[in-house]
Amino acid sequence: MRFVARQPKEGINVSDTHPLVEAGTLVVGLTAIFVIIAVVLIFMVEVVLYFVSAEDEAKLFDGWLPEDLVTVSYTDERLLETQALVDRLVLHWPDAPYEFRVEIDDSEQANAMALPGGLVIVTQGLLDEVESENELAFVLGHELGHFKNRDHVRALGRGVVLSIFFAALTGNDVAGIGIKSADLTLRSFSRRQEARADDFGLQVVNSEYGHVNEAWHLFERWGGKDDSIIDLVKYLSTHPDSGDRAATMKRHAEEKGWQSDGEITPLSW
Amino acid sequence: MNFGMPLLILMIAYFIGTHLEKRHFQSILKREDEARGFPVVSFDTMPDNWTASRSDLVSGSVVISLDYFKRVIAGLRGLIGGRIKTYEPLLDRARREAVLRMIEDARSQGYDAVFNVRLETSRLANATRNGKGTAGVEMLAYGTAVKFASRFANAQ
Amino acid sequence: MIISNTETIPGRKIVEFYGVVTGNTVRAKHIGRDIMAGLKNIVGGELKGYTELLSDSRKEATDRMIEQAQSMGANAVVNVRFATSSISQGAAELFAYGTAVRVE
Repeated sequence: MRFVARQPKEGINVSDTHPLVEAGTLVVGLTAIFVIIAVVLIFMVEVVLYFVSAEDEAKLFDGWLPEDLVTVSYTDERLLETQALVDRLVLHWPDAPYEFRVEIDDSEQANAMALPGGLVIVTQGLLDEVESENELAFVLGHELGHFKNRDHVRALGRGVVLSIFFAALTGNDVAGIGIKSADLTLRSFSRRQEARADDFGLQVVNSEYGHVNEAWHLFERWGGKDDSIIDLVKYLSTHPDSGDRAATMKRHAEEKGWQSDGEITPLSW
Repeated sequence: MNFGMPLLILMIAYFIGTHLEKRHFQSILKREDEARGFPVVSFDTMPDNWTASRSDLVSGSVVISLDYFKRVIAGLRGLIGGRIKTYEPLLDRARREAVLRMIEDARSQGYDAVFNVRLETSRLANATRNGKGTAGVEMLAYGTAVKFASRFANAQ
Repeated sequence: MIISNTETIPGRKIVEFYGVVTGNTVRAKHIGRDIMAGLKNIVGGELKGYTELLSDSRKEATDRMIEQAQSMGANAVVNVRFATSSISQGAAELFAYGTAVRVE
């Protein structure tokens, strides 16, 4: 038995795929897989929506509030008036399947949300921002439009389903996921959904006041503002650009022949 | 979200990591060339025709870690499974480095050959993130080094 | 190519030996298998997905070791040892090594 010095051939234990090729393949492949899964999940939400009617939803979410919502007191004057305004606006949507509830979120960021079961959430920031009842009425009418098109359940369903999917992916505890307002940031409406809600909002405002004056005033102001205002950036990023939006609404009102001037109702606060 | 910083780190990690890996492989090839002719075998017992005057346990080890870029690729690969190609050069060079260090250990003590070589791999878990992450991989090579009683004993 | 995990091959005589040869591969399990295994873990028993994955990988490591031995002109690998180690979360290294020899 004799020792003969020999070296094995180089590179047998190393694959010759270039790391960048491997990275490219993985990124493209995984993106494709995620997109497919997301599309399937969104489709499943649509199927559920088809089988769960708005009445069922209203029953199911009766009295429900997001777990970590910080609301203002029930005796707040602004809450009572906003609720009264919603109640008046709903009169122009005769077969509304919900009993609308208003809650005020204690947040500085101007925003309004439509949540399952006819829950309308407006933020303190929004109430500080609006200058007339007409402006506020339009924002509320816009949210009613989301309810009418059932965008709210769709968006929430997607948000919850996708967050469960990502939790499963990253190995987090799936069972620990409740509907929290953190999930609500996952909600985003498409521009088409926003435009349809805008149309409905305008229609409601027109029926209530007989004109649509000041309805898009809020968006005109926002559109003229510097985008660096951090509070608004987030809002604007999920919504169409405010300037464009005001112009679209103006055009829509003209087409419908709605009066664009009329008496402005001031806010009581 | 800001993707700028992570991307920059990824790029830096890729270029520096690739450079270091290339240099390490060059160094390994050079040292393996020098170590050629030094018998390293995994026989449990010493070959019959070797006669040893003395022997001792020798070892060589190295802890090595993957660059951030390749770790990210490995993480992505972990989602779909399959061969993690970016880990292979790491393990290959770590193992050869460990064997080389073992040989250098033996040589520095005047030994002529190593038999009963064993190779071990172990993972060093990260102290952070519940020990889920990998701080590095240790490669250990050890064996019994012998000094031949006669220079020509193993030539027959 | 003769593979043996003893240092001799019964009935054959080793004439030359060339040194240590190695073969390794790193594999990751994928999420699908993980989920199935997670379910199977509840009742226990064989995790077929993993058995398959590891034996495939071990075969690949052995093949690479054999390729190294062939490149050295050997016709047998003796004293072969297998090792499995976890390299990172969800990734395992399958490793085989032995001594490349020439038998009569």
